[in-house]
Amino acid sequence: MADFDSISADKILTRYDIVVESSEKPEDIAEQFMPENPLLRQIAEDVMNLKFKVIEEHVQEALKTLTPEEIIENGLLAGMDIVAELYGRGIYYLPHVMVASDAMTRGTKVAEAALGGERKYKGVVMMHAAEGDPHDIGKNIAAVLLKSNGFGIVDLGKDVLVDTVVDEVVKQKPNVLTGTALMTTTMSAFPRIANRLKEHGVEVPFICAGGAVNREYVESYDMGIYSAKAAEGPSLANKTLDGWDWKKIRSNWDDIINGKA
Amino acid sequence: MATTKFTKMAYDSADDLIFGEAKKPISYGLGLKVGQGSVIPEINFAPRPGSEKSPESLTKEYVDYIATDIMNRAVTLGFPAVQLENEWIFQMGNEPEKFAKPVVAGQKAVIQKFHDQYGIACAVRHTCADPRLHEQGMRFGQDKTHNYPEKMLESFEVAADAGADIVSIESVGGKEISDYAVVRQDIRGWLFGIGYLGSIDMEWLWTQIVDLAKRKKVVAGGDTNCAGANTSMFMAGGYLDKDVPRTFSAVTRAIASARTLVALECGATGPDKDCGYEGPILKAVSGCPSAQEGKGAQDAHADLMGNLIAQTCDLWSNESVEYHPEFGGSSVQCWLGVIGYEAALMNASKQMKQDKVLRDIYVASDRFRSPEGFILAYDNAYKIGQAIVEVGDNYYLRAKAAGLKAAELIKESNDKGKLKLNKQEKDTLNKIITDLNSLPDEEGKFVDWALKEYKDVPAFDPKNYEL
Repeated sequence: MADFDSISADKILTRYDIVVESSEKPEDIAEQFMPENPLLRQIAEDVMNLKFKVIEEHVQEALKTLTPEEIIENGLLAGMDIVAELYGRGIYYLPHVMVASDAMTRGTKVAEAALGGERKYKGVVMMHAAEGDPHDIGKNIAAVLLKSNGFGIVDLGKDVLVDTVVDEVVKQKPNVLTGTALMTTTMSAFPRIANRLKEHGVEVPFICAGGAVNREYVESYDMGIYSAKAAEGPSLANKTLDGWDWKKIRSNWDDIINGKA
Repeated sequence: MATTKFTKMAYDSADDLIFGEAKKPISYGLGLKVGQGSVIPEINFAPRPGSEKSPESLTKEYVDYIATDIMNRAVTLGFPAVQLENEWIFQMGNEPEKFAKPVVAGQKAVIQKFHDQYGIACAVRHTCADPRLHEQGMRFGQDKTHNYPEKMLESFEVAADAGADIVSIESVGGKEISDYAVVRQDIRGWLFGIGYLGSIDMEWLWTQIVDLAKRKKVVAGGDTNCAGANTSMFMAGGYLDKDVPRTFSAVTRAIASARTLVALECGATGPDKDCGYEGPILKAVSGCPSAQEGKGAQDAHADLMGNLIAQTCDLWSNESVEYHPEFGGSSVQCWLGVIGYEAALMNASKQMKQDKVLRDIYVASDRFRSPEGFILAYDNAYKIGQAIVEVGDNYYLRAKAAGLKAAELIKESNDKGKLKLNKQEKDTLNKIITDLNSLPDEEGKFVDWALKEYKDVPAFDPKNYEL
């Protein structure tokens, strides 16, 4: 057996992740985005610092002087905006986002209980994993990121029949539909869904993603908008709120993904 | 059927582990000899989208195009042996008689023809789908909507009857918990999902597969934790990825090895599945031959151990490639060339008695490229195997021991300045060691805690595991 410790790995490979490792501190970046109100700041910090055990107590405290809407928008979602910023800069990893989202969800439930009526989301995204496809981890990550961005989520689950997707879109009229597929032989459900929706006279931006899926394929059928990463979901979905239809989103896709549109 | 747990290592020392040789070699198919002194290419493929529309179009794709192209190229390049692997697509598993049967029979006829004409040694592995949905029920009679558990076992019947030489599966027990845990960097949850629940599901599943394989006289190959540890590994990705720290992924791989081993304890003989990167640990413990994939699987994905993972393989695979034309022929022909020539290199090194040198060059290339490659280097894989067999008769304890050993090996090398880690990787590693050390020594206490801790995880139903 060779003496492997005598090998200089630096002559064989370069750890680019260490070369460009950020020295920025999360607190310094967060300071630029923190709400001024001390109660909201505490809640945003709870989200950012993944304090899911104390956040409910802090939301209860804030409800004594602030409205549930203010707490959700300017405390909980503001905290998630900071988390998203840290994730985007490579300082936070995905698990930070997921646990922060768990904290945000706990806080949101307390705030929502104090709402007079139902919470108004900025938009609704309906999500599913393709018929015959049991892989849904990507969908679940995307759902968290969209929820953290203020969208309501209707999750149809995994291995969802084409008919079910079509029926639910027609019935519930979401702002955006998403589909994920890991296998090339299950992604063929997407054009079938798009065609069936057209027969119903429904047009909806249909974000399609997953290991098997590529941009060329998704853009081969109407309504299809490609997404390479779950983190792109909010940017694409937000465009529908600006009144962009699937054609406009698709034609400006590169600019949206690169933050130029 | 009772299972026989591994409580001692098949190999006396790590240095005995080498590609192309296994303590428990096996022969099957049309003259294929695995682990008997040579490495054999295993070519895996996927049909083009749209070919799944009908049994006829699917059979044409798999048989007339893919299988025939492969055998033509294998003979053209003078490869002495080849194994085909067909990972079943959803349609085959959902309607095995209709979609799978003609494919399996057709492929067998093609390889038989080439074997008869040229004498090339060959076999077809059928990896049946595991479409079970945790929320619908994982055991017989539970999934009233799709009957997926029943269809899964029926798939093996159909495959064996129609001509499969070896059967395998990428089973999904415990995935509902590991999916939840991996995105939360929760190693205790991952241990519960794959190390414990996954092992229970494996025992239920593989006792049946082995029984069926014996009755039908086909080889019960093995499993892979593709659904769990590969999810970790691909999320951890390369140096531009920030989804899962690679130290987390490395430890999940070690835990997964304790779970994938169950198939062999139930009577599977190997070679296990190519995408089970835990293969070196399994081979060290069991002595069964191993299928692996690395640099020749860039058609399917990038990994950080493309050379290293060839170190102990008996079959060398391309993972999977979609059938399409390339300048050099069809995709399956081109990728067969890549893995077949690599196998030839390994086999030439054996004749020249340089195989251990080549093995160590493979390892040196990638040993410090990632924590996961590091713990799978054969010397470390062997140490993880030793940790498993010390408590080999307890699923929980051995999975925990495997994870902890991997974490300690990584820390030790990092402390010595050899295996470099970025800040997230280091922080995660320290948390893993703390978390695993905080777990109880008694299985009962762990399970009681875990059932409470994860009771609200979507799709988790203890009944799937008879808990």
